[in-house]
Formats: sequence, C-alpha cells, structure tokens
Amino acid sequence: MPIITVYINGQKILTESGVTILEVCKANNIPMLTLCHLKGLHDIGACRLCLVEIEGVNRLLSGCTTQVADNMIIRTDTDRIKRYQRITVELFFAERNHVCAVCVANGNCELQQAGYAVGLDHIRYPFLYPECNVDTSHPWFVMDHNRCIMCTRCVRVCTQVEGAGNWGVMNRGHDVRIISDFNTPWGESITCTDCGKCVHACPTGAIWPKAVAQGQLTKYPEMIGELVEKRKLLQ
Amino acid sequence: MGRKLLLEKAHVEGIRYYDVYRREGGYRSVEKALKSMTPDEVTEEVKKSGLRGRGGAGFPTGMKWSFLAKPEGVPRYLVVNADESEPGTFKDRYLMEFIPHILIEGIITSSYALGANSAYIYIRGEYAWIPDILEQAIAEAKNNGWLGKNILGTGYNLEVYVQRGGGAYICGEETALIESLEGKRGNPRIKPPFPAVKGLWDCPTVVNNVETIAAVVPIINNGGDDYAKIGVGRSTGTKLMSACGNINKPGVYEIDMTISVEEFIFSDEYCGGIANGKRLKACIPGGSSVPILPANLLLKTAKGEQRMMHYEGLSDGGFATGSMMGSGGFIVLDEDQCIVKHTYTLARFYRHESCGQCSPCREGTGWMEKILWRLENGQGKLSDIDLLVDIQSKIEGNTICPLGDAAAWPVAAAIRHFRDEFEWHVNNPKECLQRNYGLAHYADPIHVPTPA
Ligand SMILES: Cc1cc2nc3c(=O)[nH]c(=O)nc-3n(C[C@H](O)[C@H](O)[C@H](O)COP(=O)(O)O)c2cc1C
Ligand code: SF4
Ligand code: SF4
Ligand code: SF4
Ligand code: FES
Repeated sequence: MPIITVYINGQKILTESGVTILEVCKANNIPMLTLCHLKGLHDIGACRLCLVEIEGVNRLLSGCTTQVADNMIIRTDTDRIKRYQRITVELFFAERNHVCAVCVANGNCELQQAGYAVGLDHIRYPFLYPECNVDTSHPWFVMDHNRCIMCTRCVRVCTQVEGAGNWGVMNRGHDVRIISDFNTPWGESITCTDCGKCVHACPTGAIWPKAVAQGQLTKYPEMIGELVEKRKLLQ
Repeated sequence: MGRKLLLEKAHVEGIRYYDVYRREGGYRSVEKALKSMTPDEVTEEVKKSGLRGRGGAGFPTGMKWSFLAKPEGVPRYLVVNADESEPGTFKDRYLMEFIPHILIEGIITSSYALGANSAYIYIRGEYAWIPDILEQAIAEAKNNGWLGKNILGTGYNLEVYVQRGGGAYICGEETALIESLEGKRGNPRIKPPFPAVKGLWDCPTVVNNVETIAAVVPIINNGGDDYAKIGVGRSTGTKLMSACGNINKPGVYEIDMTISVEEFIFSDEYCGGIANGKRLKACIPGGSSVPILPANLLLKTAKGEQRMMHYEGLSDGGFATGSMMGSGGFIVLDEDQCIVKHTYTLARFYRHESCGQCSPCREGTGWMEKILWRLENGQGKLSDIDLLVDIQSKIEGNTICPLGDAAAWPVAAAIRHFRDEFEWHVNNPKECLQRNYGLAHYADPIHVPTPA
C-alpha cells in the first residue's frame, strides 16, 4: 500500500492508504468516540459518534467508514462535532431505560464512557420510557432490552464471526428491537451455539452472563478482533 | 396548453393493452435505439435532453448513466424505483396503472443503453393491483418480441422482473431498495460505494424513478435536443405533478415547466383553485420531505418575482425563502389547516418510517414527534420550539441516508415560517384544541425592499 499524508487536527501524519480515519486516529493516539465500531466486525456507521469534519465536505462523516485520501484535512475536535455528539449521547440515554445505579455494567459500560467523554451532566430531553422486556430464557445469559442502544454489534458478531445468525432486528424507527431467531425467546433459539461472543461484543449492560450483579460485569470486547486476526493466521 | 409527452395518449381507450399502445406509435423508441443507435449514442441523447431524475434529487440522468462502471464479465442492472411512498406523491402509480407499456418501453431502451440484460421494477407493496398490470404488459411485450432473447434480431437480450416492495418508505431510498431486492431488511447502505459501482448483488447498478425511465421514450423518439427545448434553463422537458389537498381538482398533471405556481393552483386546466371558496394558506410543493411555504412566499419569491413551477423556480431563495421540486407531490393547505397539526402528522410519519439504523435519526424522529404532539395538544412550552429546532439541526447532515434530512426539513421550515402559530399553541393551550390559528398574515404581500 502506498504511503500518503493526512492532517488530523493540524498534525501531519504519514499513513498507508486504504485504511479508515478511525484506524489512523487509533494508531496515532487521537481520541475518537465510538460505539457501533468493534474491531473484527464490518463497520456500518450507525451510531454517528465517530464524527469527522473533512475540508471541502459539507456533511459530517463517520470516521469508522471513511477511508483516508492523500492530503485529506481532517478535524475531530471542532465545536460542531462536540454539539452533535452531545445531543446523540443525550438521546441515547433518553431513548430506553438506563438506570446505571442498578446496572451490571455500571463502571464498565461504553455508553457511560461516552457520556463522560462528551461531558454529560444532565439530559435536556424528557425520557421516553418505552416498554422493554427482559429475556432470561437462555440458561446462561440475559438480554435486557432496556439497556440496548441498537449498535447491532451482537447481530454482526453472531453472523459475521460465529456464523450462527441468531440475532436480528425487527420493526422500524425507535420501535426497533433486537430479536433472537424470529422473535422467540433466546432460550428456545435453534441457531444460538451458546458461544457467548455477543455477551462480550455488547458495549452496554444489555447482554450479560447470569452470575453477575450490579457493577460486576467485566467484558472483553477486544477478544472479537483478536479472534478474527488469529483465524487469518490459520488460513 | 403545455406540451404533453407522457400523458399525451393516457386517455386513449385501451391504451393499457399492447395492441392499442403499439397502434398509437408505441415501441418506436426501441426500434430506433436497437436498430440504428449504439448504446453510447442513446446515453448521449439522454445527456443532451438535460433530463433530471424525477425521484426527488433531480440528478442529471445522462450523467448518472455515464458513471456506471463497466468491468468485463460482470453483469449490470437497471432497477426502476416504483416504491413511491412519499406522502403526496402518486404520479408513478398513474403512469403504471394507465400506460404501463411506456414504462416497459423506457426500460428496454434504457437497459440497452446501459448494457443491462436484467431489469427490475421494485414496486411499492401497497400498490397491490399494479404488479398484475405490469406483468401483463411484460408478457404482451415478450409475446411480441420486445423482450427475451435476441430482441428484433439484434442479438440483445433482456428480461424484466417485477418485485413487490417490503412495505416501507425507506425501501424507496436507492441503497435500501437494493438491500430489499436482495431479500434483506431494507437498511440503507453507507455511500460510497455508490450503486453505479457496487449495487445489486455488488454489481454496477442504475436506480431510476419510473417517470425518469418513461421520459426516455419521447427523448429517443424526438431526439434529446427537442426535449431540451421544452421548459426553462436546466429544467427541461415535462414533469408530472400529483396535486392534492384543499384544491378543486386533485390529480396528476403533466406540466412543461414554463408555468407559474399561481397558474398551476388557480387555473382550471390544473388544480382549479382552492376548494370551497377558501383562501390559500400554505403549500408543500414537492412531496412531504421538502420545506413548506406560506402563501405569500409560494406565489412570489423573496425578490418579489413570480415563482415558477420548475426546479430552479421552486428552490429560488434556498431553504430560507424557497423550497424544492422534490418528487412533484403538490400538497395545498387552505386557511382552515393547522400547521402544527400538519407538522406533527409528518413527524409521526418519519418516526414510523425511519429504519432505526443510525442513532440521530432513530432517536431524533421519535423526539420530534413527541414534542410536536405536546405542542399540538396544548401541553407544550415555549422552550419546546427551540428544542425542536435544536434536535432537527442535529439530525440534519449527520445520518447514513437522506431520510434524516427529509424528516428534519419540514419541521425546520414550519417553525421558520409559522413560528407565531407554534407560539399561539403554547400560549393558548385550551383554545388551540378547539379552533385553528387561521390565515394570519401568511398570505399578505411580501415586503420587497426598494433599493435607494
Ligand atoms: C427516504 C427516501 C425515500 C425515497 N423514495 C423514493 C421513491 O419512492 N421513489 C423514487 O423514485 N425515489 C425515491 N427516493 C430517491 C432514490 O433514492 C433515488 O434517488 C431515485 O430513485 C433515483 O432516481 P432518479 O435519478 O430517476 O430520480 C427516495 C429517497 C429517500 C432518501
Ligand atoms: S451466544 Fe453466540 S451464537 Fe448465541 S447469540 Fe450470542 S453470538 Fe450468537
Ligand atoms: S444488545 Fe448490546 S450489542 Fe446488541 S444492539 Fe443492543 S447494545 Fe448493541
Ligand atoms: S437516516 Fe434514518 S432511515 Fe436513513 S439509515 Fe439512518 S436511521 Fe435509517
Ligand atoms: S463508531 Fe463510527 S458510526 Fe459508530
């Protein structure tokens, strides 16, 4: 791959071409907020937190899906980006029923971290309080829709890495829900292999192993990317 | 009387059937293109015609075609977007229902230009009776040698398939449409890559609106130059408008883009004026996604000139004082209509139709609906109006597909032009449940500053 030059927040960076802006930022310790991105899965640019401004482009672009080009002038720290990120994170909290005080992921949650990163102190929008069920039918794992942020990392890891295709998405708008098979209890799934990858991929306390209580959840999402790399060695 | 190209023969008895359509001069463009023109020459004529996409964005069709990647050994596809789910737009339905053969004819000529051997018509699921009409037309065309193998002995092969839609507005967005056509959930894809490079089954694909493809027929028959002569400037040819709302004669009209908005609304040839002797309050000139305009800005531009019914005319003044041609769904509101209620109805539609993939659109459309419901039902606060502006501005420009923008624009425009009506709702929570704010000053002549 040819080496190209890009400028991120005024810093001149030499990088390979054919990589995304997010990858370049990571390699150069430039912070970038992400939620739907997980190394090892195909990026879909859905959470819209990894925003970048590119000189000459009017729209904000998602860094996880935009590839670098030679002499691209990129900013990740403008006020405009911060305003957009803040409102998106606020609306994440208002969308479902996030009660951090009782959540298994408390202190170890990517949504919480995003909240800290954008400097969230209160939420300006009244909460929606949708009715969400908790699926405890699986022998080892729990799916709590109250805490789901629809990043679809579980869907993608189950399809793209495990190859089981248990998870899917139903409905539209903010009625969307993650479903197991054709919207049947997870415990009755005929596709789930009980591998636990979705448990680790999930950025919040929406999917968790049964034996944990408030604040005890530890996850290992990097495992997915490592697994994908190891598989490449085998090929 | 403007020139008609698409609906010229629409009222000929039996035009839905092949024999009559052929007798009236149908399929001449296929003969001409396949027998006497190369594919590139067909594309060249379309370029010359200045035809712009009729599906909403108005992108030049010839240019779109020339972007199509043509790698060796990879099939190319033409997909006709007949999803038509935009509230207020019903022109494609009219065309497909009454003169289906003009679409089939356009598909053959266009596919030939693109080098596609398969074409798909992705039709809105709710148009339950139209696939039968189309399939019959396809069968008739096939029986008469216009489709299938070795068409007219030229060695060109083409099959046309009709696919019923997944029942969602978002499936009209071209990449969501492609996903749906592939049998998946209709979630829009990240662009780039554009369909012209990686579309249906990752092959180069052109997605065009029904009316766009039908317009190729007169372009090839009469030549691109002739088509370009109709209309004004970059708005060439004729455009189908589907007019609805509080007018005397709702329906589909073919205009040649030389008339004014005033003429379109009030002349008997078109909408025939406002129904029940009421007065005009506002209008959405291009389908629910485009900004609403109050009567004064609709009939005259901010410069005080007559507003004309073409792409540039309707967008004159940008979003501050103009709107857009969009998909040609012309929705007229009279003095009795409540803008807040109307905006709420649209917000509810977009909340329901957001695919839910990207967070600003999924969350934001839900929010806008909720806040508008409060305002409409006398439970709103003055700060809600600014909150709405805030949310809509954070959806716009930060989503995967343009539905986010389409949901934000109507709200922004309603508040921009009718803010006093929103405030009246907040300040008169009881009264707003019983009566409408009315016409206020929205129809007053606009003040045009005279240069010193
Ligand atoms: C949410 C959304 C819905 C759309 N629905 C339609 C539709 O129903 N019919 C249509 O022709 N184009 C629709 N479009 C536009 C298409 O994405 C695409 O631009 C169009 O089919 C291109 O055809 P054209 O170049 O002939 O206009 C929609 C776009 C969006 C973002
Ligand atoms: S446990 Fe494994 S197979 Fe089962 S849903 Fe999760 S990722 Fe899929
Ligand atoms: S369950 Fe977890 S991984 Fe799956 S979409 Fe919800 S938040 Fe994302
Ligand atoms: S903007 Fe809305 S409709 Fe479009 S991809 Fe995002 S969530 Fe789906
Ligand atoms: S991480 Fe890039 S959009 Fe979610």
